[in-house]
Amino acid sequence: MSDGPILRAEDLDHSFGDVEVIDDVSVGVEAGDVTAIVGPNGSGKTTLLRLLAGLLTPTAGSVAYLGPDAEREIGYLPQRPTFRPGFTVYETIAFYEALVGDEPGDLLEQVGLADAANRRVEALSGGMTRLLGVAQATVGDPPVIVLDEPGSGLDPGMRRRTFEVVRDLASGGTGVLLSSHDLELVERTADRVLVLDRGAVVADGSPEQLIEEYAVDSIWDVFEAAITGSAETVDVVGVPR
Amino acid sequence: MSGRRAARVIFGRELASVARSRTYLLLFVGVAAVIVGIATVGGGTEAGYVPTAVDLLLPLELLVPVVAFGIGYRSIADDVQREELEVLNTYPVPDWAYVGGVYAGRAVAVVTTLAVPLLVVGVLIWLSAGPDTTIVATHRGIDSPVLFGRFISLTLGYALMVLAVVLALSALASSRKVALTLAVVGVGGIVVGLDLLVLRGVGAEWIASDTLVTALAASPASAFRGLVFETVLYVAFDAETGYASPIANAFSLVSWTLIGLSAAAVGVSRR
Repeated sequence: MSDGPILRAEDLDHSFGDVEVIDDVSVGVEAGDVTAIVGPNGSGKTTLLRLLAGLLTPTAGSVAYLGPDAEREIGYLPQRPTFRPGFTVYETIAFYEALVGDEPGDLLEQVGLADAANRRVEALSGGMTRLLGVAQATVGDPPVIVLDEPGSGLDPGMRRRTFEVVRDLASGGTGVLLSSHDLELVERTADRVLVLDRGAVVADGSPEQLIEEYAVDSIWDVFEAAITGSAETVDVVGVPR
Repeated sequence: MSGRRAARVIFGRELASVARSRTYLLLFVGVAAVIVGIATVGGGTEAGYVPTAVDLLLPLELLVPVVAFGIGYRSIADDVQREELEVLNTYPVPDWAYVGGVYAGRAVAVVTTLAVPLLVVGVLIWLSAGPDTTIVATHRGIDSPVLFGRFISLTLGYALMVLAVVLALSALASSRKVALTLAVVGVGGIVVGLDLLVLRGVGAEWIASDTLVTALAASPASAFRGLVFETVLYVAFDAETGYASPIANAFSLVSWTLIGLSAAAVGVSRR
């Protein structure tokens, strides 16, 4: 735990045209913490992560990086990471490391991809591509890392391994912000959970606090209790229920 | 410092991308066949450097934009589509460094694709042209490799200008299909569109005859053509000058290049 947030967002709104996707969200990311954003499909998780990573300009509100000076302040894993074809896994990660002036290190080992170093990126499975994306997000040791569904498409073992990597990063002082639908791993890994519903934060706290507050047994139960839409249909922001 | 490093790293990746692509290799072979074919079939290589430049001028006005288009139209649009540009935004990569690196890498490919066949043609002329062909032009009226060297330089300058415009269109495109459409429209505009606009202006009399030379310079194809006429083809003839303004034409090509690169940087920054 640190003395204060290293990334702080205040009163964030974001609209795409007339559709308000993020509504008055404030969040701080602490160094050494894993902050998980959970919510149904279309609830605004990816938009919120892109706002926090500085890739979108909010319609209202502000995002401020308050961490230490760094060559790369925020690392980012997009929801569907894709890499330039024709290059090997090693060449790809070496390219990103060169951008921050680093020599190729052990990032591939860290995510379990060392044996695939000489494989071309277009020959990787979806899960392996995501692992390469996780490695890319950590290039340059950014104080904040934003991961959009890092476990998506991975087998249970690799998903758990990815969350262990996330936990290791946080143990080293990195502030990690991630979105995930794997509520069991979120409960096990996250220091703080934000439940997002229709662009607004409807629950916020540590897993233990939320479970106690909602008087339930798990984060999955918190999720069910906190969201207002049906679990059987996609809740489309901008369309009245 | 990090900007220059980023430009260098991105340049290296672009170069590697192009060098590994069979498509660009095929493009190179095709372009080489067309250039060497026109030069030899037309008999220019046996007549000399300037006659060969005459034979090649019109085909190159079309071929150069096609080469720049083929090598450049997907360069930035693909990075946008793969969301790589978004990821690069989290690295210390200024927009100018990204555009500069991509442009420099693709420029090497464009220059190689055009310069190698043109140099081969130059060697063929040297081997086969008649005794009037001398090594260095010391006075007007002499066919010379120097004039052909000028022709090659102007061709490459024109190609680099078109590449900058194609890169700008690629940066503005939201997908590969849009990039293709924009590039086709853009290349069409460069090859014939702006020339036709000037002609229309003359016909409608909103371009006066005394400003025609300057107006023609605004069209990149005309600027290239004018420079070739004034500095390569008409060098031998005192009476055959003044059809184009070399300074205005050179200014036009440089301006279009800078406008293209600036527009590409703005397009990237708006992502």
